[in-house]
Amino acid sequence: MTSAETIRVPAVMKRIEEDVQSAVRRRLVKHGMPAYADEQVFERARAILEHAAAGRDLNVLLLPELLGDEVEWSLVPNLTLSSHRSSIGKVILLVKRHILLPLTRWLFEYSQDNFRRQERLNRILLASAEELAVENARLRADLDAIRAKLLGGQGAPG
Amino acid sequence: MKLACVVHRYGADIAGGSEGHCRLIAERLAKTHDVTVITTTAHDHVTWANHYPPGETRVGPVRAIRFPVVRSRDLHRFRDISDVVLTNRANASEEEQWFRENGPQAPALVTYLETHGRDFDCVLFWAFRYYNSYFGLPLVADRAVLIPTAEEDPLIHIDSLTPFFALPRGYLFLTPEEEALVGDRAAPETPRRVIGCGVDPPCPVDDSRLAAAGVTGSYVLYLGRIDPNKGCDMLLRHFLRYVERTPSANAADPATRDNPSTSANPVLVLAGPANMPIPEHPLIRRLGYVDEATRDALLANARVLLMPSPYESLSMVLLEAWNRGTPALVNARCAVLKGQVLRADGGLYYQSALEFAGALDYLLGHRDVARQLGAQGQAYVDREYRWPTVMQKVESLLEEIGPRH
Repeated sequence: MTSAETIRVPAVMKRIEEDVQSAVRRRLVKHGMPAYADEQVFERARAILEHAAAGRDLNVLLLPELLGDEVEWSLVPNLTLSSHRSSIGKVILLVKRHILLPLTRWLFEYSQDNFRRQERLNRILLASAEELAVENARLRADLDAIRAKLLGGQGAPG
Repeated sequence: MKLACVVHRYGADIAGGSEGHCRLIAERLAKTHDVTVITTTAHDHVTWANHYPPGETRVGPVRAIRFPVVRSRDLHRFRDISDVVLTNRANASEEEQWFRENGPQAPALVTYLETHGRDFDCVLFWAFRYYNSYFGLPLVADRAVLIPTAEEDPLIHIDSLTPFFALPRGYLFLTPEEEALVGDRAAPETPRRVIGCGVDPPCPVDDSRLAAAGVTGSYVLYLGRIDPNKGCDMLLRHFLRYVERTPSANAADPATRDNPSTSANPVLVLAGPANMPIPEHPLIRRLGYVDEATRDALLANARVLLMPSPYESLSMVLLEAWNRGTPALVNARCAVLKGQVLRADGGLYYQSALEFAGALDYLLGHRDVARQLGAQGQAYVDREYRWPTVMQKVESLLEEIGPRH
C-alpha cells in the first residue's frame, strides 16, 4: 500500500458527520424549528450545546459557584445513615444498617440510578446556560466595540 | 536487574485487563531479569474473595508471592463512597477510604513492600486505582515505575492523585491519551515511554469454528464482557435502532425470521460472558464465552468489530481485530479508542445513535474501503505493537532509571 492510497479516517468521518447533522437539521425544521433552515445557525447552536454536553468537566461550572453551598441545591444520591440520639444512637444505626437498609435496598438503588441521571442532566443544563452566557458576553463585547467605533466616527467635527 | 511486579490479581487463568498486561510483560522480562510478582490471593475481580493459597509459588516462568485479602469488597459501601468521591464532593480522608473500599485489601502486601521493597532494583506497579498500588507505591517511590492503566473516568480528577502521580520514578503508558491524562502531574523530567501491549503475528484460523458456533453469513462482532460498564446497553440500543430502520430486518418478516443471514442487515454476534440482559432478536446472536480458536475465527471473518466502551486505557480487542485485518467502529466518547482509530486509520467512530448508523452503513456499504481500513489497522499493529518493539521500550526505560540501592 502506498501513502497515496491511504484512506484517512477524518475525511471519511467528515462526510458521515455532515450527512447525520444534515438529517437532524432537516427533521428539526420539519417539526417546528424554522431557525435551523439556516445551516449556519444550526451549526453554531449545535457547537455550543455539544460543548456544554460533552466538551467540558461538568463538576467545574460557574453557576454552581454563584449558587453558594452545593449541599443546599445538588442531588445527593448516596445514602448516609446517622442518628442524632447520643445514647441509643448506635443501636438505631445498627437497626437501620442491618435490618431496614437490606429490606429497602432495591428501592434505594432503583432511585439512585435515576438520581444519577437527573444529576447529570442538571449539570448539562447548568453548563448549557453557562455556554449561552459566555456567548452573550462575547456578543455584547463585539456590539459595544462596534457602537464605540460608530459613535467615534460620528463624533468627529465636520 | 532484580525486578518486582506488583498487581492486584495474577494467574494463568486471569485474562485481559491490567492483570493480563502485567503477566505478558513479567513473563518477557523474566527472560533477562530476576522477576518476582507481588500479588494477592484474589481471583474474583468483584469480591476479591481469597482463592489462591498464600505464599510463594511459580506461575509459568515467574516467581510469585501472594498475600491474603483481609476483607472482601462490600459493593454497597463501595458504591456509596464512589458516589461521594466521583462527584467531587469528598475530602482527603474520604478519597483515601475509596481506595480501601476498592481493594483488594491485603495489608501484608503493603508491609512486605515496606520491609523488602528496597531489595529490588525496580518495582513496577500496575493500575493506580487499587489498594496495593495506592498504598504500596509511596513506600518504594524512589524505584517505582507506574503503569497507571488510567481511563478518563471521574476518579482520575480527584485531588489525592495529584501528589500520588508525582511520586513514581518512571512511567509506562499504554497510549498517548493516557500520558496526557496522567503525565502532566509528574515532573517533566520523569522518564516515560508509551508502550501499549505486544501482539503476536496472526496464526491461521479454522473457519469451521464459525459454523460450529452457529455463525453463518455476514456479521458484526462485539467481543468481551457484555456489561453496561462496557457500553453494551447503549450498543444494543443503537444496533436495534439501526436494524429496525430496514423492513427486511424486522422480526415480523418471515424470511428474515427463519434465516437472519438473508437480511440486508448483518447479525450482531456477542461473544463473551454477559452481566446484563440481552434482548431476543433474530439479528442478535449471543455466544457466551468462546475458546481461543473460535475467537480468532470470529475476529478474522467479522465485517466490523464494534467497541462501545466509554472508558478504556488500551483496547486489546481492537489490536487483535486489526491484527486480523478487520476494521473497527468505536465509541468516540472514549478518547483512547478514537485516538487509536485515528492513529491507525483503521476504522470509524460514533458519538450518537445516528452516527453509529451512518458509520456502520458506510462500512457495510463500502466493502473496499472497509477492507482497506482493516489493512491499515494491521499495518499499524505491525509498526507499533509487535513484542520486540514493545519490550525494547520497556528495557530502555529500565536502563534509563537504572538500579537503585
